[in-house]
Amino acid sequence: MDLIHPQSKAEVVDAVRRANADRRRLLVVGGRRHLDKGNPAEFDAELWTTQLDRLIAYEPAEMIVVAEAGMRTGELGRILAAGGQEWPADAPEDATIGGALAAGASSARRLKVGALRDTVLEAEVVTGDGRFIRSGARTVKNVTGYDLHKLVVGSLGTLGVIVQVALKVRPLPETRRTLRFASAPGIAEAILAAVPAAAAVISTPDGIELRLEGWSAEVDEQALLASAIAAPIDAIVGARFPGLRPWDERPVVAEVAVPPSRIAEVVPADAWGALTGVGIAWCGLDSLDGELTALRERAHAVGGIAPVIRGPGGLGDPPVPASEVQRRLKTAFDPNAVLAPGRGWGGA
Amino acid sequence: MADVEAARRALIEALGPDEVLSDPLALTLYARDASLVEGACALVVFPRSVADIAACLRIAAEHGLPVVPRGSGTGLAGGATPIGDALVVVTSKMTRILEVRPQDRLAWVEPGLPNLDLANALRPHGFTFAPDPSSQQTSSIGGNVSTNAGGPHCLAYGVTSNHVLALDVVLPDGSVERLGSESPETAGYDLRAVLVGSEGTLGIVGGVCVRLTPLPSDVRTMLLDFDAVADCAATVSHVIASGVVPAAMEMMDHGIVVAAERFAHAGYPTDAAAILIVEVDGTPGAVEAQSRVVETAARTNRVRTIRIAADEAERALIWKGRKSAFGAVAQIAPHYHLHDCVVPRSKLVEVLDGVYEIAARHDLVVTNVFHAGDGNLHPLLSFDRSVPGTLERVLRASDEIVRLCVDAGGALSGEHGIGLEKRDFMPLVFTAEDLSAQACVRSAFDPDGRMNPLKVLPDGARCGDFAMARGSVAAEASAELPEGAWI
Repeated sequence: MDLIHPQSKAEVVDAVRRANADRRRLLVVGGRRHLDKGNPAEFDAELWTTQLDRLIAYEPAEMIVVAEAGMRTGELGRILAAGGQEWPADAPEDATIGGALAAGASSARRLKVGALRDTVLEAEVVTGDGRFIRSGARTVKNVTGYDLHKLVVGSLGTLGVIVQVALKVRPLPETRRTLRFASAPGIAEAILAAVPAAAAVISTPDGIELRLEGWSAEVDEQALLASAIAAPIDAIVGARFPGLRPWDERPVVAEVAVPPSRIAEVVPADAWGALTGVGIAWCGLDSLDGELTALRERAHAVGGIAPVIRGPGGLGDPPVPASEVQRRLKTAFDPNAVLAPGRGWGGA
Repeated sequence: MADVEAARRALIEALGPDEVLSDPLALTLYARDASLVEGACALVVFPRSVADIAACLRIAAEHGLPVVPRGSGTGLAGGATPIGDALVVVTSKMTRILEVRPQDRLAWVEPGLPNLDLANALRPHGFTFAPDPSSQQTSSIGGNVSTNAGGPHCLAYGVTSNHVLALDVVLPDGSVERLGSESPETAGYDLRAVLVGSEGTLGIVGGVCVRLTPLPSDVRTMLLDFDAVADCAATVSHVIASGVVPAAMEMMDHGIVVAAERFAHAGYPTDAAAILIVEVDGTPGAVEAQSRVVETAARTNRVRTIRIAADEAERALIWKGRKSAFGAVAQIAPHYHLHDCVVPRSKLVEVLDGVYEIAARHDLVVTNVFHAGDGNLHPLLSFDRSVPGTLERVLRASDEIVRLCVDAGGALSGEHGIGLEKRDFMPLVFTAEDLSAQACVRSAFDPDGRMNPLKVLPDGARCGDFAMARGSVAAEASAELPEGAWI
């Protein structure tokens, strides 16, 4: 199998056009941190974006950063921290920006920071048929045509190669604190109701963690409100969040997405963490057949999904078959099916 | 060729005679939206359900009519202005809130529901719908979705796209598809992301699942006034650079302050060169901390006075002046043309100076009220259309303003959309390949080019065999787009 290492956007265009001419199938690869998400695909070459890692523009007062998609999120984090800001992907340090976006990764702080998709203001993409296109603008608001830069988020590299993005960033909080509580039914929901603007409430079989981020006085106030619901057993300043990650100890991790109030019905017996009020849960599994199949059945029953994000297992069947519009989009952007055919939902 | 009479009979059969209009008065009323563009239509229908919308689209397809979706008609870019033999599908009779589910932080609503009615209904639950366009008393949620609407509070909370979980969309062939879901992630491509902001060109939104935003416990609204526009704009950048993103940061220049004050009696200082409304929210501690940063930034940039709203009534009054500003300009002249471009915040002063210069050169009155925190300018040209030659001057000045914003690294529209008005400016910001990708999205939803033809994409943008205004319904309509349809 070949490895292609484009040094520039123009070389990405060349590589994709050549692949079309030779009918060779490509797998787009960033930091390999999100590659497990996706169905098994056949391909003839890997196209690595990691050489496309330049910073294009960063002006803290604009709260926008423009970078090539192969930049590692750790590097981006250091650049932004110098400006007192962050891009809240919470991805592993060596993941690339493009990889996190293509996988549609979720931050544990999604309650406060929102979906990653909503941070993408502009994107440059090389489509499956080798067109170099740009969508969006380097402004925080923009209604200028269709938001293709958001369509490619979560598309698993099956529509095009994301080569550059403009991202909306946010100020780093003055204070970060995690409060840990003993697990008990209904506590996570009660804490969220008391502190609706929390950064996160994550519930696990080993305990509940409330993440507070903001001004010092604000965090003190929120901690007080939460403590009125239940007595915290621990308070941790700064540090990595979540502290409790029981799913991480299992070989396979599935990411459940269901309506927030249904999450307790879906998670397995142990090794999970559920984001209260968000509807995302990470579930650690030992076996693919029994456990994963059962988890997906429970997720489907409440209108949700459970793709695997670490280990084998793929995406699972979509709750409804891919629509005609979905199929036409794939065909329009990748007519010769050179971008990892079969990798996307429903075989896209 | 479209068979309007056959379509009319079929629509009456499907929706009932009261919901189908074809009299000259109705056709004139619905021939335009809130923009300067006037068009023409053949039929106007008022569906009451998703099934009704589906029937409308099937009938339109069968009889060859282009379809123009319309909410409350407050759009400012001509997105709801019909062309030719169009069937105008008005959602203003679909105004129900179907479900509010605080435990899932979502609500399902019909597309014709006015934005403010939704916010008011959510308040007792401790939530709101964050997008709050100035037109929110009238503009519909479906319309907000179509234009990816903004509003003052989008600075901290984000635009409509961030607040839509799912859409039940009727496609041009009459089939109904749910885009997105009640879950935070969905299988397949995120079609919801392209539908939001698509200006009625991909289908008709029949139901909207909105995300609920918790109301902050405390809010503080401040009115800052300055002797110089540049100081006011510099305060905006200073606040953001200090790590504070206020809930809203709105700027008004002298001309609009005077007009708004006469109308709203909000106590605006009418001798100021510019005022800034800053709202911060959160817990009491968060409000205090942010207020301190705002005050420091303002004092550094020579603020004259800082007025803090003492109670809810005063807060409402300060906002009344801002939100009624566009109405208040009727005192200046009978007509106005409102722009909506976004520029980098650091270019605000430079672009504003350019806007004043352009207006002066064309002998036009310009006032500015805008979302300064977002860099979203709204230069407003006031004029009297009955004075010969005035409209031409307005259009020439408008063209220059758009180019000025684009040259400053900006976007054509921040929240109003492209519609007809800015369609031909698209090649200023996009290459032919960029536009071809846009056409691909459009043709995936609407292979026959039946939905809102001629809007958003310029002639010639094409995806493979699909071409805008060629070999489609749009081609017929194009031939009927008269010279001077802008008027």
